[in-house]
Amino acid sequence: MILPKFDYKKAEDIAQAIALYKGARGRACYLAGGTDLVPLVKLRLSTPKAMIDLKGIEQLNTILRKGNSLIVGANVTLFALKKHAAVKDYFPALYESLDATSCETLQMRGTIGGNLLQNTRCLLYNKSLDWRTARGFCYKMGGETCNVVPYAVACFSNYCSDNALSLLSLGASLKLAGLEGERKIKLDKLFSRDGRNPFTLKPGEILTEIHIPLKRSTGAYEKLRVRNAIDYPLLGVAVSIKEGKGRVCVGGIGPGPLVYDLKDVAGAALKDVAQQARQEAKPVANATLSASYRKKMVQVLTERAVKRALKEGK
Amino acid sequence: MKIINVSFEVNSEPVSLQVKPYETLLETLRERLDLIGAKEACGLGSCGACTVIVDGIPLRSCLVLTPEVNGASITTIEGLGKDGNLHPLQESFMEKGAVQCGFCTSGMIMTAKALLDRNKRPSKKEVVKTMSSNICRCTGYKKIIEAVLDAASKETSKA
Repeated sequence: MILPKFDYKKAEDIAQAIALYKGARGRACYLAGGTDLVPLVKLRLSTPKAMIDLKGIEQLNTILRKGNSLIVGANVTLFALKKHAAVKDYFPALYESLDATSCETLQMRGTIGGNLLQNTRCLLYNKSLDWRTARGFCYKMGGETCNVVPYAVACFSNYCSDNALSLLSLGASLKLAGLEGERKIKLDKLFSRDGRNPFTLKPGEILTEIHIPLKRSTGAYEKLRVRNAIDYPLLGVAVSIKEGKGRVCVGGIGPGPLVYDLKDVAGAALKDVAQQARQEAKPVANATLSASYRKKMVQVLTERAVKRALKEGK
Repeated sequence: MKIINVSFEVNSEPVSLQVKPYETLLETLRERLDLIGAKEACGLGSCGACTVIVDGIPLRSCLVLTPEVNGASITTIEGLGKDGNLHPLQESFMEKGAVQCGFCTSGMIMTAKALLDRNKRPSKKEVVKTMSSNICRCTGYKKIIEAVLDAASKETSKA
């Protein structure tokens, strides 16, 4: 598959990357691992005038403990993060979701920042330009309709990051650098929950750091997939429990994750949360498994993940 | 589009080229350097047939832009062994019958080599996990896994 024409620029630091973005008048993409972006460009789903390579920025490649948090640079690869001692000890849910992401070769290339900021996916969106033109453009391609759900008023594309769910369950926050300076937001605030434009990032903003509170937790990640390797979650559930309180995050269905707090980890509360998640998840026929099966599995995987997280804690 | 000068090492030989900014490493290897061992199948990073080793890390060369590997050291399947002097992995793949149509084989061997370089004696579980990065449509996975384990045992008995 041949790439369309674009310029390639390599940034040495964040200020230079932002200056390059300004120079391209907003028609540029930031490139890290490229495992999500390059296929999108090949399918003409993204048509940048320039690619700004962030891999040369040293600051984005480090993991360090500072105060009460683990600060992970956005360009740390999934594989490097998985192998970091603190992750396995403190954040078992994150360890499991990193391990479940795609396959080892892509984990060695893909970055944690890129994994969080991957675009939402749909069976009728991630297709070649010819295919999409024949079918007619949907909301996400700038059209006036949804090709999956007739008469829908919103886009139903799925946000398929495994690690966003476990990071959300751990209460992570993000540091962003943009044209108007730096800001810090809770990870939950990253999601606009609109499939057409799934993130609240401003144009030209770069995700620089992920801050995870350094508290020991027990947790688990459950992923519904058909191949067991090189596939996106058809449903993902992450659970982390700290000091008797838990948080359940359900993703892979719809443009943003669902988040539930588990006030006590007794049986009744767990059943309530699992049922509520099942009721609120709205899968449609835009993935390789049927919507009704994915909906049923929300409850099953939520219960399974919480039970496993509790068992590990004992 | 500005043409970019890049220089890197391929199979221990230095290469300097002028490339288009939107050229993938796979295109450069196959079309400019005549190294046609790495194959293009899906072109989207799913299958692993284009795997080459860049600075010790196995990469899907269809997802890497050539300007990104400026200064890197690249190993392709052509750099592993020559006729009559094959790499242990290549020998094991032949002995164990791990090659059917052969299209995925170069990617499989490069993924396996990167694994054996960082872990001399992987368990079967680790081999299965790493080799699941690549797709074989003849679905001869069992023999491929046997071949990788066989190559690992040969390497360690030699050392």
